[in-house]
Amino acid sequence: MDISRSYRKKMDVSRKYEDFLEFRRQENSNFLWVSRTLHPQVAYIQETPPTPSLHKHEVLHSPKIQELLEKLSIAQNVPKTYFEKQVKEILDEIGYNKSIKIIRWLGMVLTKICLKVSSGIYINGNKVQQIRSMMGNCPVIFVPSHRSYADFILMSYMCFTYEIAIPAIAAGMDFQGMWGMGTMLRDTGAFFMRRSYNDDSLYWTVFKQYIYQLMTRGDLPLEFFIEGTRSRSNKSLMPKFGLISMILKPFFFAQVPDVLFVPVSISYDRILEENLFAYELLGVPKPKETTSGFFKSLKILKEHFGSIFFHIGEPISSKEFFGNSIDRSIHNIAPLHKQELTEQEKSAIPPLAFEILNKQQQGFVLTIFNLVALTLNNTYTNKDKLPNILELKHKVQWLKGVMESLGAYIHCDDVERGIRECLVVHRNLICFNSDNEVCLVENQIQQGKINTVKLKAHQLTDQVMTYSVPFVELQLYVNPTLFHIVNLAILLAVIQKEGILNKEDLWDRYHFLRSLYAMEFVIPAQMEHTVFESALEHAIALNILRLAANKYDLGTNEELQNLLHNSFKPFLVSYSTVMLVLQNSPQTCEQKTILANVQRLLEDAINDREEFVHPYTLNLDTLNNCLNSLCAMLILKKIIRENVLSFEIDKRQLDVIKRRLDVYIPSLRINEDLLVNQQLQNKL
Amino acid sequence: MPPPPSQSEKIKEPIFVKSVIPKRRQELLKWNGWGYNDSKFVVNVDEKQNIQVYFTGKRYPIGEVPLTHLAQWAIDMLNIDLTKPPKTSQPLPTESQYPESKIPQSILQQLENLGISHSIDVVDRVVRAHGQTLHDVYTLRNSVFERIPDVVVWPTCHDDVVKLVNLSNENNIVVIPYGGGTAVSGAVECPTNEPRPIISLDTTQMNKILWLDRDNLVACCESGIIGQDLERELGKMGFTTGHEPDSYEFSSLGGWVATRASGMKKNTYGNIEDLVVHVKMVTANGVLEKNCQVPRLSCGPDFNHVILGSEGSLGVITEVVIKIRPLPKCRKYGSIVFPNFETGVKFMREIAKRRLQPASIRLMDNEQFKFGMILKPEEGYFSLVLDGLKKFYLTKIKGFDVDQICVMTLLFEGDESDVKLSEKKLYEIAKQFGAIPAGETNGERGYMLTFVIAYVRDLALEYDVVAESFETSVPWDRAITLDRNVKQVVTNECKRLGITHFIINSRVTQTYDAGCVIYFYLGFNHKGLGDPVVLHNKLETKARDEIIACGGSISHHHGVGKLRRRWYPKTVSNVGLNLYLSVKKELDPKNIFATNNLVQSKL
Ligand SMILES: Cc1cc2nc3c(=O)[nH]c(=O)nc-3n(C[C@H](O)[C@H](O)[C@H](O)COP(=O)(O)OP(=O)(O)OC[C@H]3O[C@@H](n4cnc5c(N)ncnc54)[C@H](O)[C@@H]3O)c2cc1C
Repeated sequence: MDISRSYRKKMDVSRKYEDFLEFRRQENSNFLWVSRTLHPQVAYIQETPPTPSLHKHEVLHSPKIQELLEKLSIAQNVPKTYFEKQVKEILDEIGYNKSIKIIRWLGMVLTKICLKVSSGIYINGNKVQQIRSMMGNCPVIFVPSHRSYADFILMSYMCFTYEIAIPAIAAGMDFQGMWGMGTMLRDTGAFFMRRSYNDDSLYWTVFKQYIYQLMTRGDLPLEFFIEGTRSRSNKSLMPKFGLISMILKPFFFAQVPDVLFVPVSISYDRILEENLFAYELLGVPKPKETTSGFFKSLKILKEHFGSIFFHIGEPISSKEFFGNSIDRSIHNIAPLHKQELTEQEKSAIPPLAFEILNKQQQGFVLTIFNLVALTLNNTYTNKDKLPNILELKHKVQWLKGVMESLGAYIHCDDVERGIRECLVVHRNLICFNSDNEVCLVENQIQQGKINTVKLKAHQLTDQVMTYSVPFVELQLYVNPTLFHIVNLAILLAVIQKEGILNKEDLWDRYHFLRSLYAMEFVIPAQMEHTVFESALEHAIALNILRLAANKYDLGTNEELQNLLHNSFKPFLVSYSTVMLVLQNSPQTCEQKTILANVQRLLEDAINDREEFVHPYTLNLDTLNNCLNSLCAMLILKKIIRENVLSFEIDKRQLDVIKRRLDVYIPSLRINEDLLVNQQLQNKL
Repeated sequence: MPPPPSQSEKIKEPIFVKSVIPKRRQELLKWNGWGYNDSKFVVNVDEKQNIQVYFTGKRYPIGEVPLTHLAQWAIDMLNIDLTKPPKTSQPLPTESQYPESKIPQSILQQLENLGISHSIDVVDRVVRAHGQTLHDVYTLRNSVFERIPDVVVWPTCHDDVVKLVNLSNENNIVVIPYGGGTAVSGAVECPTNEPRPIISLDTTQMNKILWLDRDNLVACCESGIIGQDLERELGKMGFTTGHEPDSYEFSSLGGWVATRASGMKKNTYGNIEDLVVHVKMVTANGVLEKNCQVPRLSCGPDFNHVILGSEGSLGVITEVVIKIRPLPKCRKYGSIVFPNFETGVKFMREIAKRRLQPASIRLMDNEQFKFGMILKPEEGYFSLVLDGLKKFYLTKIKGFDVDQICVMTLLFEGDESDVKLSEKKLYEIAKQFGAIPAGETNGERGYMLTFVIAYVRDLALEYDVVAESFETSVPWDRAITLDRNVKQVVTNECKRLGITHFIINSRVTQTYDAGCVIYFYLGFNHKGLGDPVVLHNKLETKARDEIIACGGSISHHHGVGKLRRRWYPKTVSNVGLNLYLSVKKELDPKNIFATNNLVQSKL
């Protein structure tokens, strides 16, 4: 399959969404609707429809598990029944249930909540119907983006609405802790997966077999989050390969005819957890999800969350995707349960994972608020005068044109009305000031006593927190736009600093930056060149760059250049600071120390208000992306000892990279300030 | 060759067998389809537009009775318009349609001198230019073959063959052995780009039973003997080979060996490789054979297995010493109904595990079960299978789902007491699987239908429908998924190709210790979709790819021929491929047996 095509593809501006809450709003009785006779379409019709307990039974009695138990029993000289009991317990911990009563009840509750707090849940209904009609013949896997806990509840609600069998959903164990919640989710089809890879090999063998079972003998669709966890930054995270590998195993083993992956992009006008995420990004530990926390969040009922958009992507057939590159007959000899995926098969999985993620990214719907956020963010960065509503409207209108030309889909009927709605939905974040200008809301933050053990990095002062949180929250809504503009921003950064370049050199610099930021703005390596070409085309078209005598030079669209420059700047600053800290760290250094030192430096820089340093530079997501990227480049090496993560630093290589990166860093005082350096040294 | 054993009985040997099939095959058999001229499905539309389908002739028990349900079924499943006049075949080929025979006059003269019967008549040549693939029959009905043999020869004994092969080798003439012409692999077709003259070596006039050895229970037969002739003649003497491929009315002993054929009753009698005790093959390099007639020997690689499955590419099989058995005293049919396919397969696996297989045991999937009902004359949909039981009992009391029910047919052979015991054991185990015995008639009918099904294709072609089959062998643990995946892949591919009306169903036809055989039927309406042969080829290729991905084989008994060549190298590994090629080079340095089967030769 030609992946590159899909990267170049222009966004389909003729997308059609319907508000599926509309029917609920209009009907006399939601109760009649939730209690209607259901004809859910299953994914993979089985001769004998399986039940949750049948799955558990078959896993326990699978040759794989039975042989393992026999081995364990002999090795440890313990009766097999002992381990059987363990497996049963594990299966009870993992396994999903199905209670139609709970589902209907939840359907009722959700209808009420959604009608109250949202202005609509939009979906491209045609695609849903199309997918529904394709179902029945092989496992179907829904792969939604993960921006909120609401994701999977709403996914199930969507399926309930469209009479698609509610998927078996891979959920994290943290829900289990929440009293009532765990059981409730389980009853609606969630199965649970322990988070960290501990060395409980019995657990993982059972878990994998459970997935195998659901894939080969199950009839429900499956659902999992390829990003592994909720993205706190509202940007796509690097795909994880663990679960998708388990899902694909039966396909590679030819135990199912195909596996269909359905990418789902869920966009929120306003994210339920925005405030929480801002704290987490800054390093304040995430409170464990407890039910009381959940009920506290019932206060959301008093808030308004605008619209939610489901974009159901074109299903990806594994069979077509892998085509002839995979020879499934290699597993023909020896029992399947004694076989594992080959290296070749394992290496074929990441491109598929990236493709799914890419489809999610393309599918996201931008709303007016994303453009408002981008505009305001730019105003603050420039320290410009804040816009009144008319000025804002003009800016947003202009941006909308730009973004659409870049292939973004923006949901908007009327810009001004859209902005006014933003001011309601996001009244916690933006408001009018006394001059009738739109500005960020400032809330005094008092952190009180903080358990330093729980801190992920540096303890930021109340003052910096108060200043930073609104910016970070705002950035959450800027981030989704970056997918469309970051490549332009990188091209611009290069030409701005290096002047006229020919294409080859430009590609060389672009490639350097793009791969350094490959985890920040997720892109698979093999796609860089295609993306580069298309970004160049756009850059010329938008007059960001211009082409003369086969060389690239700055264009004259200064307004857009300024916006691009400012939107990429925080990421340059963060990465450069991480490297600066690494340069001044000992050979081996704990992750937490590195993060804390970076934040400390940046905190100083932010406090020094002479020059605007974006508070988002403090966010741990970006700092960790930088560390991971350096790991991928073999400049850092991860060392885990007693659950503590440290990095071993190859300083020579680091110097090389840092020098290359610093070319593009806007002159910032942290760089030159030796004092700071020394101060840092003292602290280390 | 070992000397013929001493005889006590007074049978005049060799036995000159008068074959049912005449030398001019077309006098009895369809030249453009399957089987006897007098046996075929026909559609009658009366003045009131009532459609009635019949099977003509009295050769098969189904003959001459209206098949009441077939028409509606065909309309529903395959969207056939039976009121339209059927598509007819072109008439018998004429000389003008094909290039003149390339055989040099000098060779014809030498054949004359050797006293070997031959013909360059175009019909004789066309009739031997093909087997029974869709491509073959479709070409016969609608167009011309790219290449046909230049001459047909009829040797009558081993020595004739030796002379023919020598003659051909000296003159660099291609020889293609031809037995019954029932191959469904493209094996008998002439390589299209062969510039040399081609001889079709028809073995059917070389069909004597040379001798019978009652002490060791073997018979030495010439390779051209046709299955039904062999059985009839042996039967007269109280024996049987028990080898009964579905094509045994028309296929030959030599063909069986050359394709590694498998008979329905292999559980009791064995497959062809189990039945062959000694075999002679005339190669360009001389005669390959052994010096003893022993049950088994430890003597290096067994060259019988070079001959078996050689598909005419290494030489001509002339004489085969084959095992025979006394005719069974008792033959009994049976059938069992299963709630679903998977249970049926599990049952079969259990029977195989306990080695309790009767002579034949087959499991039809739900669609085939229904089709079996369709082919029933007159009575209602369900009456036959239930055999005294009531549909009510099955569906209401036992809770079987009509859309999942599968039926198994059984054939028992042996002494009466053994058959009884075998039946008892089987039905007991069936009960444990929640299955229900469904009587003898259903079983018998199932086996009778086997022979009739082959005639369906010709009817189908008249109404823009392709009806073909393909088969594979597979380990037990992968049987169900293979079956299911292949059906799914065919379904998807049909949709992709724009085929709206199609059927894909299957049966498990054989069991082994380590696996089973799955036989698929594929039918589709190709009206308006272009060349049906191309369409079918696409479908079957996808299906075979999936079969192999699912752990199945290139073929269980149809062989490789030209149709399945592309999967041969991977099946046997590169070393295996080269091994075959070096054998080929040794036995046939000039490539006169240029059948192009198994491997495309580099000309
Ligand atoms: C309706 C139908 C049902 C069938 N059922 C079965 C079945 O149940 N089991 C089964 O195994 N097959 C079955 N077949 C396939 C076919 O009948 C077998 O492959 C059979 O063995 C072919 O024998 P034949 O005499 O017709 O050979 P042909 O079709 O004449 O030839 C087949 C190949 O063998 C070569 N050959 C033939 N005779 C000789 C010889 N004497 N020496 C060297 N090479 C020779 C030919 O060159 C050719 O390559 C069926 C086919 C049809 C059409």
